[in-house]
Amino acid sequence: MAEKKDMVGYRQQPGKLPFTRPGSGGKNSFSEPRDESMIPASQGGEKNQPWGSHRHDELLSGRVIGKPTSLIDSKWKVTGQAHYGDDIRLPGELIGKIVRSPHHYAKVLSIDATKALELPGVIAISTGADASQKFGVLPVTKDEHAMAVETVRHVGDIVACVAAENEMTALEAVRLIDVEYEVLESIHDMKDGLKDSEKPIHDRGEYHIGEANIQKRVFQEFGDVNGIQDNAIASHKSNWYFGGVNHAATEPHAAVAHWDPSGRLTLYTPQQVPHYVHRALADVLEIPMHQINVHRTFVGGGFGGKSDPFPHEMCAAILARKSGRPVRITFDREEVYWLNRGRHPSHIEMNLHADSKGRLCGIETDALIDGGAFASFGHVTTYYNGVLHTAPYEIGAFHYTGARVWTNKPASGAMRGHGAVNSRCAVEVGIDDLSEQLSVDPITFRLANLLPPHSATITGFRVTSIGMRECLERVKEESGWDEKFRKMPLGRGIGIGCGFFISGSGLPIHWDPNKFPHATVHLKIDMDGGVTVHTGAADIGQGSDTVIAQSVAEVLGLPLDMIRVRSRDTDTSPVDLGSYSSRVTFMNANAAISAAMKIRQELIEATVKITEAPAKKLVIGDRRIFRKDDPAVGVSYLEALHKAQEERGALIASGAYRTPPMGRAHKGAAAGLAPAYSFSAYVAEVEVDPETGQTKVHKVWAAHDCGKALNPLAVKGQIIGSCHMGMGQVLSEEMRYGRDGHLMNPDLLDYKIPSIHEMPNVIPIIVESNDPEGPFGAKEAGEGPLLPILPAVCNAVYDAIGIRTHNLPITPDKMFKAIEKKCKLLGIDDPLNLPSPIIEHSELQSTLKARAKTHTQRDIDRRLNDDIEAYHNGALFGMDPTIPPDEVDEKWTVSVLPSKEYLSNPRLAGKAWLHTERRRRGD
Amino acid sequence: MMRMPPFTLHTPASLDEALEIALNLQDAEKEFDWVAGGTDLLPNYKWHLNSKKNVISLANVTELFELKATHIGAMVRLHELVESEVVHPVLAKAASMIASVLIRRSGTVGGNICLDTRCYWFNQSENWRESIDWCHKCDCGTEADCRVIPNQNTLCVATYQADLAPVLMCLDATIHLASSTGTRSMQLTDFFELDGMTRNKLQPGELVTHLTIPKDSAQWQGDYQKLRQRESWDFPEAGVAVMWKRNGVNAPNDIRVATTGLESIPGFHQSQAQHALEDWNGKESIMSLAESIRKAVKPVQNTWYTPSYRRKMTRIMTKRACAGLLEDSK
Repeated sequence: MAEKKDMVGYRQQPGKLPFTRPGSGGKNSFSEPRDESMIPASQGGEKNQPWGSHRHDELLSGRVIGKPTSLIDSKWKVTGQAHYGDDIRLPGELIGKIVRSPHHYAKVLSIDATKALELPGVIAISTGADASQKFGVLPVTKDEHAMAVETVRHVGDIVACVAAENEMTALEAVRLIDVEYEVLESIHDMKDGLKDSEKPIHDRGEYHIGEANIQKRVFQEFGDVNGIQDNAIASHKSNWYFGGVNHAATEPHAAVAHWDPSGRLTLYTPQQVPHYVHRALADVLEIPMHQINVHRTFVGGGFGGKSDPFPHEMCAAILARKSGRPVRITFDREEVYWLNRGRHPSHIEMNLHADSKGRLCGIETDALIDGGAFASFGHVTTYYNGVLHTAPYEIGAFHYTGARVWTNKPASGAMRGHGAVNSRCAVEVGIDDLSEQLSVDPITFRLANLLPPHSATITGFRVTSIGMRECLERVKEESGWDEKFRKMPLGRGIGIGCGFFISGSGLPIHWDPNKFPHATVHLKIDMDGGVTVHTGAADIGQGSDTVIAQSVAEVLGLPLDMIRVRSRDTDTSPVDLGSYSSRVTFMNANAAISAAMKIRQELIEATVKITEAPAKKLVIGDRRIFRKDDPAVGVSYLEALHKAQEERGALIASGAYRTPPMGRAHKGAAAGLAPAYSFSAYVAEVEVDPETGQTKVHKVWAAHDCGKALNPLAVKGQIIGSCHMGMGQVLSEEMRYGRDGHLMNPDLLDYKIPSIHEMPNVIPIIVESNDPEGPFGAKEAGEGPLLPILPAVCNAVYDAIGIRTHNLPITPDKMFKAIEKKCKLLGIDDPLNLPSPIIEHSELQSTLKARAKTHTQRDIDRRLNDDIEAYHNGALFGMDPTIPPDEVDEKWTVSVLPSKEYLSNPRLAGKAWLHTERRRRGD
Repeated sequence: MMRMPPFTLHTPASLDEALEIALNLQDAEKEFDWVAGGTDLLPNYKWHLNSKKNVISLANVTELFELKATHIGAMVRLHELVESEVVHPVLAKAASMIASVLIRRSGTVGGNICLDTRCYWFNQSENWRESIDWCHKCDCGTEADCRVIPNQNTLCVATYQADLAPVLMCLDATIHLASSTGTRSMQLTDFFELDGMTRNKLQPGELVTHLTIPKDSAQWQGDYQKLRQRESWDFPEAGVAVMWKRNGVNAPNDIRVATTGLESIPGFHQSQAQHALEDWNGKESIMSLAESIRKAVKPVQNTWYTPSYRRKMTRIMTKRACAGLLEDSK
C-alpha cells in the first residue's frame, strides 16, 4: 500500500512514537460539542442578545466566556503554594529594616550610624545621601525620595535603612542609629493647608501656589451655571466630612531585591503596577531600565495600595547594591499605615438643584482633600472628585472647585473607586434629599434623568453602553422597594444609591496615547498545543490572569488548562500599565483577543489547506475546527496547529490595545476619560437602633452593569467584596488622628474593618449592557461596585430614622449625637418616639414616571440602532442633542479658570485660587 | 513583622514548681510575667510594652484547669466557659462575647480577670510611642506624663476592658491567690485597685489560682450587655452586668450591678443597686437605676468611642440588661 511505502526508510524506535494527533490537547481527549446556549443569536446560536450584537460575537466558541470560572491560580493560594512578597527567600538574604521619623515635620540635621555599624551582623546602612533622585507615580509630581533628603514630612517617614544578617540585629541597629532633628511646625488640619505657610511641606519652585500647601487645584464650569438659581425650585446643600480610609489589604507590603551575578537587579514585589516601579527604580538607582527585572509576586490584595512605586522598594534595592546580597524588607501593619495611599480625608460641599420639571439643573461641588505628605496620585484624585459625578444623570450645569493640600500625615493616594467614592456619596444622598423636597420617589427621579447610550456627558466624556436604567429597575423590583420605601417602622429603612466608574483610564500616565499601546499581549504556541500568554497585567487577586486566559481560550476553542499565563517578570512580559483604573479586563482582554485572533486566523488557514473547506464556513469548537454546515468535516486543533507550524515552528502573535481618540480640549479634559464606563445601583436595607445609634446593614441588592460578565463568579465576588469594603468606610473604618496629629489606630484591632457579623446578605445582580468596544462586550467590575453602597446605606439610615448624616464613618457615637439633636429639636424625650419619614407623591411624580417611560424606549432604540445620531448632555434641557450646547448657546459655558466674581466669595477649596502661582507673581 | 524581645520561658508542671521559680527569680531580682493564654501578654510584648526577661508559663500547671459550677480554675479557657453546661448562663454569655473564637480558645479566665488596662496612647508600637515622647504607663525611664489627662503623672487612667469581671462580681465570686508565702482569698469586688498600672492586689510572685462562685448562683438571673463597634474582636467600650434574685414574685429581693470598660478597674455599684430595690416600681425603678449607673461611671478619652457616648450607653445597657426584670417571675 502506498502509505506503507511512505514509511520505507523510517525506523520506528521504542519511545519515539509519532506525535499523538486527533482529539489531543487538554486532559479530556474527546472534543465536546459546541455549547450552543453560549453562542450568540447573531452567529446562529441560542443566546439572546437584547442589547444587540457585538464585534466579538464570531469569536465565541462557547467554551469559557460567560461561565462561572474559579480563578486559575486559586489552587496555588488555597494550598499555600502561592509565594507572596515575604515568601521570597533567596540564598544569603539579609533583612532590611527602616528607621522612621518620630516627628511630624522636621529637618534632619545629622544621622550617626557609627554604633549601628559596629553591631556584629549589620552589613549595610543607607541614608538619603545614597539616593538623591526624586520619584513619584505621576511624572508631573515627583516628590518622593527613597529616604529623607533633609526633611521628614510625617511620623513614620523614612530616614534611613539597615540590612543585617537577621531581623533582631536589624531592629537593634535601627535603635542604635542616632538622628538629630530640628522640629518644624507641622500642619494637620487640611484647612490650614490652604493658607500661606512659613515652610511649605514641598517647594514646587515657580509652579508653587502662593506660599501655601496646595498641591493641586481645579476649577471647572460647564453648562448653564449662571442660570442655576433662576431655574431651581429645590436645592440641596450639605457639608460633608469623609474620614480617610486605608486599603488594609491582607498582605502587608514586602520587597526583596537582588543584584544577580550578571549585575542586573531583580526586585520581587507584590505590585499592582510593575512598570512604574521599573521606571522609578531606573531613575533612583540611575541605571538603565534594561538592567532591571521587576518580578511581581502573588499579591495579597491591592485596592490601590500597591500601585505607587514605593520608597521601601528603593531601599531594598539600594541596600542590596551596597551589601552585595539579597535584601528582604517586610512591613508590619503599622508601617502599612505609614505608607498609606488610602482614600483622602475630604471636606466636600455638595449643592444640587432641581427645576420644575424634575431635572437636575445644576450640580455645584467643592472638594478639599487631604493629600498627606506626598503627591502620589493626588493630581488625578483632585479632578476625579469632580468629574466622576457628571454621569449617569443629564445635568444642566456643573461647577466644581477642588483642591488637594499637603499635610504632615502619611500620603493619601488611589484607593478602589479612586476619587469618585466620596463625592458620589454626597451626590446620591443629595438626590435623595431633592426627591424628598419634590415629593417624588428617588428611583423614579433617577430613571427620568439618565443619559442615554452613545451620549456625551456635560464634560464631554463619551458614554457608550449604559445599563443604569436596568440596574435601577432590577434593584427596585427585587428589593420590594415600593412596599418598603418610607413605609417601614422607625429604625428600619431602605435606601438607594447609584454610581458610575471609568473602565480604564483613557490617558496613560507616562506617554502619548497615540504613540504606544496601553496593553500588549504576546502568545506563543509550540507543538504541544499549550498556549503561553505573556502579559504585564498584574494579577492582584482580581483574576486578571484568569480573564486573559479565558479570552485566549475562548477564541481558540481550548480548555483553560491549555493556557499558561506568564505575567510576573518585566523581562519577559510586554509593557503594561498595570492594575489600576479598572483597566485590565477592558484593555488586556482586548489585547489578548487581538493576539488570539491572529493565531485563530492561522489555524483556520491551515484547516482550509487540509480540508479544502472555505474559510467563511469554518467555526471553532472544543479543540476542533469544522464546517459549521457539516460538522463532520473538520480537523482537530492539533492537526491544524501542526499544519500551521510546518516550516516555521512555534506560532507567535502579538496583540495590543489603545484607546480611541476621545474627549474635549479644555484643561483637564483627559481626567476621567475612559473608553467605557460601568454603572451600578444598590438598594440597602438597614436597621438603626434609635437608643444607641448603632446601624446594621441587613441586606443589599447590588446591580452592576459590567457590560458582559466574562466570569460571573469573579464579578459577583467583586460586588460582594466591594460592599464589604464600602460598608467599612460608611460605618466604621477611619484613620483617626489624635489631638496632636498622631494616627491613633495604625493596627487592625482599632482600625475597624467590618467582621463577618457586620456583613449583610448581598444579592449580586449582573446587568450586561454589551459594550461595543469592550472585550466580548465587557467593562470593569472591580471599583465601580464600591460606589453605591455608601449612599445606599446613608439613604437607608435616613429612611429608618429621619437623620441625614454628612460625616463618615457613621459610628454609633456620631449617630447618637445626631439623634439627641433631633430629639431636642422636636421636643421628644425618648428617641423611640421619633417620627419615621413618610412620603406622599406630588404631581411631579407622574411627570417623571412618564418621562422615564419615554426614555426607556429612547434608550432601547439607541442601543439597538447601528446608525445613531450624537446625543450631548443638554438635550433634556431643550438643546440640540447633536451639537455640544456650548457651541451654540452662549449661556452654556466651558471654563477652567475662576472669574473675579467667584473669587470674591469662594467656597472652601475654591479658596485655593486666591493664591497666585509664583511664576505669575512677577516678584 | 512585630517581634517580641527575647525572654526566657519557664514551664513549670505544678503550682508549687511555678511558685518556686517565681521565688527564685524574685530572689535574683529578676523581673518576670506570668503567661496563661498569652492573648493579652504576647501582643503587648510585640509592642515592647513593659516586657520582662523571664516569663513563667502556666500551661502545664494542671491544678489550675478545673471547671465546676462553683469553681473556675484560672487556666480554664474562655471557650470552655462558653461551651460548658455547668457555668452560669450569664457568665457563658459574657465569655461568648470576648474577642473572637480563636482568641477564646487560647485566652483564659485568669488572664481575662488580670487583663492589662488599655489606652490609645499605650497600646502602640515602640516607634509610635517614641513619637509622643512615651507615656506614664510605659515611660521607658523618661518619667513621662499621662497623655490622656496631661499635667498629672500620678494616676494612670488606662481602661480595664475585660468582660468577665462584672458578671463574676455580680455572682459574688471569690478570687483565690497563691504565692510562695501561702494562699489568700478575697471577694472579687475587693480584688481591683484603682490605677491603670497597679490594677489589682496581686503582689509580685503572686498569681490567681481560681475563682469560687456561691452555691446559690443558680437562683440569680440577669444579663450582660456589651458596647462595641463590631460583634467580634473588639474589647468592650462599656459593659454592664445586672443580676437579680426573685423569690417567686416580680419584685426582686436583691440586685447587683457591675460595669467594665469605663474606668481603670471594673465598677461594682452596690449603693445604686440597693437604692433601686427600695420601693421597687418595675420600669421606673429600672430607669432610675440606669441613670444612677450612668452617673457613677467616668470614662476618659482613650478608646474608640467618645467618653460621653460610653457613659450615655451605660444607661441604655443597664436598662436593657434589666429587661428580664419586666418579665413575670417563673
